[in-house]
Amino acid sequence: MPAERGRMPIIEVAGLRKVFRSIKREPGVLGAFAALFSRTYEEKAAVEDVSFSLEPGEIVGYIGPNGAGKSTTIKMLTGILVPTSGTVRVAGIVPYEARELNAENIGVVFGQRSQLYWDLPLRESFELLRSIYDIPRDRYATNLAEFSELLDLGRFMDTPVRQLSLGERMRGDFAGAMLHDPKIVYLDEPTIGLDVVAKEAIREFISRVNRERGTTVILTTHDLADVERLSKRIILIDEGRVIYDGPLERLREKYGTHRTLVITLADTYPEIEIEGGVVEHRDSSVVRVRFDRREQSAEAMIRRVMERYAISDIAIVEPDIETIVRRLYLEGYEA
Amino acid sequence: MIVRRRRFRLEPYVEFAKRAIAREATYRFDVFTELTSVAIRIYLLRTVWVALYAHNAEPRGLPLHAIVTYSAVALLMGLILDRDQTRALYDRLHDGSIATDFMKPISVPLSFFADGTGEVLFHALLVVPALCLALLFVHIDVPSLVVLAAFALSFFLGYSVGFLLNFILNCTAFWTFENSAVQLIVTWLTDLLGGQLVPLVFFPAALAGVVDVLPFAAMFSTPLLIYVGIIGPGRYLEVMGFQLVWIVVLGAIATLMWRAGAKRVVVQGG
Repeated sequence: MPAERGRMPIIEVAGLRKVFRSIKREPGVLGAFAALFSRTYEEKAAVEDVSFSLEPGEIVGYIGPNGAGKSTTIKMLTGILVPTSGTVRVAGIVPYEARELNAENIGVVFGQRSQLYWDLPLRESFELLRSIYDIPRDRYATNLAEFSELLDLGRFMDTPVRQLSLGERMRGDFAGAMLHDPKIVYLDEPTIGLDVVAKEAIREFISRVNRERGTTVILTTHDLADVERLSKRIILIDEGRVIYDGPLERLREKYGTHRTLVITLADTYPEIEIEGGVVEHRDSSVVRVRFDRREQSAEAMIRRVMERYAISDIAIVEPDIETIVRRLYLEGYEA
Repeated sequence: MIVRRRRFRLEPYVEFAKRAIAREATYRFDVFTELTSVAIRIYLLRTVWVALYAHNAEPRGLPLHAIVTYSAVALLMGLILDRDQTRALYDRLHDGSIATDFMKPISVPLSFFADGTGEVLFHALLVVPALCLALLFVHIDVPSLVVLAAFALSFFLGYSVGFLLNFILNCTAFWTFENSAVQLIVTWLTDLLGGQLVPLVFFPAALAGVVDVLPFAAMFSTPLLIYVGIIGPGRYLEVMGFQLVWIVVLGAIATLMWRAGAKRVVVQGG
C-alpha cells in the first residue's frame, strides 16, 4: 500500500516473531517444590508472524484479544524487546540496535502504567522530560502551553503525580509523551478505566495531534469505540498473526452483514418466529431478531413482523465493530 | 545506513540527582528519626565500650578513646553506606515500570546511578547535624590531615564497593522476583563482617584473615582502621589497592549482570 503512493513507510515490520521461554510448573505444592530443583521450560510464541507497514501520519488501530501479541509487538517497536526473528524498522532505525536513538522519535502512553515520576509534581515531571529529551526551551514552552490548554492540566500542574486521579494522570501522560514532538506515538489501552467525558477528551487530543502535527499513531485498545472514532485502518491480530489489515469500512461491509430488529411487543406471545430471521434474545416484551441484510430487506422483515404480531415499537440496529470483530474471531477471516 | 550515534549529555543525570535530593528532603520525619537513631546508637556503643574496657586495657592497640571514635565515625559513615542507593532499580523491575525507562533516550543504569547519588548526597549532608549531636555525648579524635585525606580516599573506594554490591543485589530482580532473603543475608554479613559494629581486629586471628579479604571489610573496616591509625601510612597503598581490586571485580560482575538482565527485560503481562 505505501509503495503505491510513492512514500517511504515510517514503520516497517516483516516476518516478526517473538518466542518466550518460561518455566513449566507442575500443579500443587509438590510441583512448586520440585520446580526449585529441576526445571522444564516451555516455549511460547507471543508473536508468531507479523508484517505490516505504516505511512507517516497514519492512525492505525492495532487490535486483538488478550494475549494476541499486541503489547509484545509494541515492545519490539520501542526496542525494549529483541525479536526472535524478522525485521523491524522505525523511522529508518532498527529499534533494538539503537534503543536510545529510537526513543527520541517515539512517544509512549500506557493506560495501565504511568511514565511520569510518581513523587514529583506534574510540572517537575515535565521539566525532567524536557532535560531527558533535550527539548529546546521555546519549543517546550509552546507545547506545554498548548497541551495544558487542550487537556486542561492547569488545575493539577503542581500536584504530585501519585495524588492525581486516573483521568488526570492520563491527561498528564499524554502531554508528557508529546512534549518532544515525537514522529510516532504508541498508545497502549489509552482510555482504559476512564469515564466517557475523559475518553472523549483523550480521543479529541489524539485526533488533533495527528491532524495538526502529522504524528503517526499506533493505537492498541480493547475499546473499539476508540478505533471507530480515530482510525480508518485497522490491523487485527490473533494468536500472534495478522488476520486482517485494511480499512475499517471493508471489514464492516464484509462482516457487518447482520442487522438486528429490536421489537417491543404490545401483546404476549408464547413463541416468536419470523421467516428469514433468528431470535437472538428475548426478555419479556423485547425481542431481538438477527437477519442478513444481503438476503433479506429490512422492509420485508418489518412487514413480516407486523403481519403476525402486535407491536408497540420496532428499530433496526446496525452492527457495531465489536460484534464484527467477535464474529471474525469466531469464524475466521477469508481474504 | 549510517548509524548515528547519540551525543552524551550530562544534564538529564544532574536533573535526576537533583530530584532525588528534593525527594529525600520531603520525608522530614524520616530525617528526624534517622538523626536521633544515630545519636542514640553512638551513645549506647560508648556505654558498652566503657563497660567492656573497665577490665581490659587497650586490647589490640585500641585504647578507649580510639574505639569510641571508631564507633562514632562508623555510625556516621553508615548514614551514607547503609543506603540502598539502587533500590529504585529493584522497585522498577518489580512493578514493571522499568519498561518506560527503557523507552526514554537515556542510559538506564546511569539514571539509577544519578538517582542514588542524589539520595546519598542528601544523607551525606545529615552527617553534619548527626556529628553535632554525637559531640554532645562523645569525644571524637581528629587525626592529622594526611590521615584524614587517606581516610577520605579510602571511604570513597569503600562507598564504590558498597554501591556495586548493592547494584548487583538489585540486579538479581531481573531473574527472580523475590530477593529479600538474599538482601537480608547480605545486610547481616555487612553488619557483622564489615567492622561497623565491632572492629575486625577483635576477631580471632583465623577468622580475621578470611574476613579481611571480603568486600564487606573494604566498605567499613579499611577506612575506619586508617582513621584510628591501626593501619599506618606504610600500608595505605596495599589496603587501598585491595579495595580497588574489589571495585574492579564487582564492577565486572555488575556490568555482566546488567547486560544479561537488560537483554531479558520481560515485563509481566506482555
